[in-house]
Amino acid sequence: MTHLLEIRNVSRRFGGVQAVGDVTAHVNEGELVGLIGPNGAGKTTLFNLISGFTPLSGGTVAFAGRTISGMTPNQVARLGISRTFQNLRVFPNMSVFDNVSVGAVGALPQGAFGALFGGLHRRGRDRSAEISRRTWEALEAVGLTHVAAELAANLPYGQRKYLEIARALAMRPRFLILDEPAAGLNDTETRDLAAFIKRLHGQGLTIMLVEHDMTLVMGICQRILVLASGRKIADGTPDAIRTDAAVLEAYLGVDE
Amino acid sequence: MNAFETAAPADGLSRRRGLLVPALILLLVFAALPALLAGFDKGYFYQIANLALIFVLLSASMHLVTGVAGLLHLGHAAFYGVGAYTAALLTSKLGLGFTVTLPLSGLVAALVAFLVALPTMRLVSIYFAVATLAIGQMLYLVMLNWVDFTKGPNGVIVSKGFELFGVSLSGRLAAYYTVATVVTLSVIAIGRLSHSYYGNALRSIREDDQCADAMGVSTVRLKMEAFTLSAFFAGVAGGLWAHMTGYISPGDFKFSESILILAMVVVGGLGSLPGAVIGALLLILLPEGLRALGDFRNIMVGLVMFLSILLLPKGLLGEVSALRLVRQQLGAAWRTTGPANGKGEGIGWR
Repeated sequence: MTHLLEIRNVSRRFGGVQAVGDVTAHVNEGELVGLIGPNGAGKTTLFNLISGFTPLSGGTVAFAGRTISGMTPNQVARLGISRTFQNLRVFPNMSVFDNVSVGAVGALPQGAFGALFGGLHRRGRDRSAEISRRTWEALEAVGLTHVAAELAANLPYGQRKYLEIARALAMRPRFLILDEPAAGLNDTETRDLAAFIKRLHGQGLTIMLVEHDMTLVMGICQRILVLASGRKIADGTPDAIRTDAAVLEAYLGVDE
Repeated sequence: MNAFETAAPADGLSRRRGLLVPALILLLVFAALPALLAGFDKGYFYQIANLALIFVLLSASMHLVTGVAGLLHLGHAAFYGVGAYTAALLTSKLGLGFTVTLPLSGLVAALVAFLVALPTMRLVSIYFAVATLAIGQMLYLVMLNWVDFTKGPNGVIVSKGFELFGVSLSGRLAAYYTVATVVTLSVIAIGRLSHSYYGNALRSIREDDQCADAMGVSTVRLKMEAFTLSAFFAGVAGGLWAHMTGYISPGDFKFSESILILAMVVVGGLGSLPGAVIGALLLILLPEGLRALGDFRNIMVGLVMFLSILLLPKGLLGEVSALRLVRQQLGAAWRTTGPANGKGEGIGWR
């Protein structure tokens, strides 16, 4: 009963399309879980339902014992769920440092009053020092400190990926959701990314990973959820998933 | 301007920010310029200097809401008007002095902005712009047509000049110093707001508000704050204007003034406070310098804006291109009106 994330009978319809139907799943504290499925299986929709981007049509989502369905994305984020986006969404006209600082200031808000008078009292100064520290730490974790002053728009694609992850890490999340982090990366870059995700997981972060790249998912995840046509068809270790009849059918089609 | 250089002054990111430029600016505003003005000793020059400073404040306040938070605001002059009328009516009806009316000008403008922001802030981008246009017009029409209260098109005479706790500051030089002090303090405050982590959160809304939301930024609340704070400073500018000229009328606060302020921010560069200041100086001083052209000088304003968008897409010092911002806002409006959006399809709500 003490799952970090608890998804119960969650469903979502878009008009006549059942994008996600009656999915029940959970993620334990400290797990590295993969979410796979053919195109249009509802993976990203499920992510959006968890992070509050899309309202649920039915079911509930609970995080650390609190019901989070119905909350706005920023409320969900401040509870400790941080995410990246499938189609890279960095803030292009802001510096790399400023991009990452948004994650830190999102989790640890500085108000207008703090901005105006924060320098005058200790609590205000401590707050900005802490935001700055978290920002630099996240930049160090992904190895982007040397381009901190660069505009995000000027970074090459691969670095922008890591920038997005750094921004999510600056929130100091309890649960990190990565939406197709390997999309558009070549084999070497994907291997580096896999090592990086494993390292984050090794530091105690709970991670959920949506991915097309099977070798990445099979290689690093402890447990894998499989969606097809909006329904959960399998849930198990990589070895179990590899031989699961329903999964093979969904991916390869039925042998008539 | 690179936002990195100016962000977070308090914590080592940019501890070694040059103090030379601010010192020179302060020297110019509080020593060189007044000396020059006193040297010429012409009322007209004082008028121009004060007017330019007031528009610097208007432009800086719009920088906060449009340049930093990315909300296209087409009714800013109306809040300037609310501030000016607050000061003028408090003086003419209750006999209050500048020391009391100035803060109230800002607060009343902020209160009005807060109230109109409540229903409009959930509007998406371009719909919000249209709503601010309507709000600006409505406030203007109230000033024009509520004759019993505002004296309508006849305007209001403000019998009291500047003073500080009863000490008159209405001499030419004293008035200049009053305006310069209030404007400088306000611009410093706006600078602190926009070059802080708070400012970065506002910028993230301008860049991608859904993504900012996912980072824990309360987008609706921060937009409200930016809108209200910018109205506060516009109201302060209005209070200055009322006591400076001694007479205000609705014509000072109509739509074309909003566009003039927007032009200042766009020409200077969206997202840059120094840009907003330079834009204001350019668009006030250039037409004054071209008085010889008669009415044609107003064409210069349009020409400067046109050329700046054409040749300098990001303005003089800006972070974002004005065209890109508008395009992004139109795009956001289209995106959110699609059938895929859960609630309130088709009316631009998010």
